[in-house]
Amino acid sequence: MSEPIVTQDLVQSADEHAGSAHPTAADKPRGLWGDTWDILKRRKIFWISLVMLVLFLLMTAFPTLFTDKDPNYADLARSMEGPSEGALFGIDLQGRDVFARTIYGARTSIIVGTMATLATVVLGGITGVLAAYYARWTDILISRVGEMFLGLPYVLGAIIILGTIAPAQSNPSEFMIMTVVIIVLAVLGWPILMRIARSAVIQAKHQDYVQAARALGAGPLRIIFKHLLPNSLAPILVYATITIGSFIGAEATLSLLGIGLRPPVISWGIAIADHAQYIRTGAHALFFPAAFLSACVLTFVMLGEAVRDALDPKLR
Amino acid sequence: MGRYTIRRLLQLIPVLLGTTFLINFMVWQLPGDPFAGRCGQRPCPESYITMMREQFGLDQPMLVQYWNFLKNMLTGDLGVDFKQVSVASQLADAWPITIRLAILAVTIEACIGITAGVLSGLKRGGFLDNSVTISTLFLLSLPTFVTGYLLQWLLGMRFGVIKPTVSDGAPMAELIVPAIVLASLNMAFTARLTRTSIVENRRADYVRTAIAKGLTNRRVVSVHLLRNSLIPAITFIGTEVGSMMSGAIITEGIFNIHGVGGLLWRAILGQDYTIVVPIASLLVLVYLLTNLIVDLLYGVLDPRIRYE
Repeated sequence: MSEPIVTQDLVQSADEHAGSAHPTAADKPRGLWGDTWDILKRRKIFWISLVMLVLFLLMTAFPTLFTDKDPNYADLARSMEGPSEGALFGIDLQGRDVFARTIYGARTSIIVGTMATLATVVLGGITGVLAAYYARWTDILISRVGEMFLGLPYVLGAIIILGTIAPAQSNPSEFMIMTVVIIVLAVLGWPILMRIARSAVIQAKHQDYVQAARALGAGPLRIIFKHLLPNSLAPILVYATITIGSFIGAEATLSLLGIGLRPPVISWGIAIADHAQYIRTGAHALFFPAAFLSACVLTFVMLGEAVRDALDPKLR
Repeated sequence: MGRYTIRRLLQLIPVLLGTTFLINFMVWQLPGDPFAGRCGQRPCPESYITMMREQFGLDQPMLVQYWNFLKNMLTGDLGVDFKQVSVASQLADAWPITIRLAILAVTIEACIGITAGVLSGLKRGGFLDNSVTISTLFLLSLPTFVTGYLLQWLLGMRFGVIKPTVSDGAPMAELIVPAIVLASLNMAFTARLTRTSIVENRRADYVRTAIAKGLTNRRVVSVHLLRNSLIPAITFIGTEVGSMMSGAIITEGIFNIHGVGGLLWRAILGQDYTIVVPIASLLVLVYLLTNLIVDLLYGVLDPRIRYE
């Protein structure tokens, strides 16, 4: 099934190369992103992940589109009822609707995942570019500090920081705890992104166009923002997409351990933690949030992989 | 090689110092009262707090505390926890269990991951390749605890094949399923890494030469292709051994295994930082050392890599 598509790809890309060698007026030359889009739009996995992404984003922005139930309304008499007509996914331990809570849980996960990734990209990107551009002492300093954070295994580091500043017994506000979790994920995640940005910039730094810009008298800021950053964007973008997925998983793990998010925040991790000990009697309250969580992580991992495959010239 | 090893060992020192300093700083200096809730419902009496602060040196400045910590670690003195129980003896009970779990997990990871990667890489685009790609994608998006609960429920409760939780002595047979859970994520990574490097190396010149020499397919694959393609997979597995020890926290929690992860976990929940700091530092040391060993192994496996 995939064979004919591959050959078609080859033929078409051969045509494209021929076209770019002799550009005509009608044949607009395309850059890296144009090429990537061209490959992406023919990949099935890309469209599947895009549809799933849109669904999750809709859940984040307008949960009422999917459910008209109040996720916090509790009817203890119906505690742990199985799935039925009125409650698609059943009722949880506190008598709340599992479907409504699962839908509302998407918001927390997506917000924490994207914000933490954004913070990681900003922190890692800046330090990576600085290390690569100024090299010497700046590079040594930043790289060693990065190594110290990398030396701390992920789960261990998160548990130590969160367990200390927001121990399981404490009761921080909804906004506070989300911010803390986002910061912790970013603080532990930045060294990897720093390395990616650093090596991308080091590669770009010695290219002729950067030398030319410097010879023309461009300052460091202009070189970094106009020339180095746009050219190191691709690997950062791919890593960031996959990171959103893994951060969503990490948030759920921390919430499960009781030191991440906690009620009244509605989150898949909390739902799983709350019902883990009732796995014998009411697996539904555990299963559905877990399924949504996995699907959400899968969406970002698939999207990231599709983009990476499209960007990687080796696979063409 | 010898000089490189020494240089790497020397470079390890500042990183180790930095990381342990970070751990000490985060645990002891960040806001939060280590004695909150230690005395039941009422606040701890003043005399108890002063006594404890004195015993654990909390009344001293940060750097003095860190210096004492280093001195104790170097002399092998892990001290006692807040309940005055020796940390070393608790660690001695837990360590063998975690080692057993990690060895089992690494074995499973290496066997299944490498086999799947090699088979799918050799027949690129075939049915097996596609199914390996899809199943690794799913494995990658399942957080460890989801796999854990799923297998516990399915095998332990639905079909009754295994005991849902591991008994006290943690015999090998009962650790198999937890080890699969612990290995699942890395297994997927290993399979993908192996596949990519097999696919890349199949086009390499030395493989073409080997075929041109008239060697059998079997010999080309097993002697020429495999030996070169397995390097990244082995590197990955090696680096992950270190993080597996602390990654076991979740798996050990689900299956109620009393290993290092469980010990650390209970200490954090009970806010007993005197256990957290030395154990976390030891885990970091193990992690850094395995990384170093893997880096050195790299040169042995691939003579093309030269250390200056």
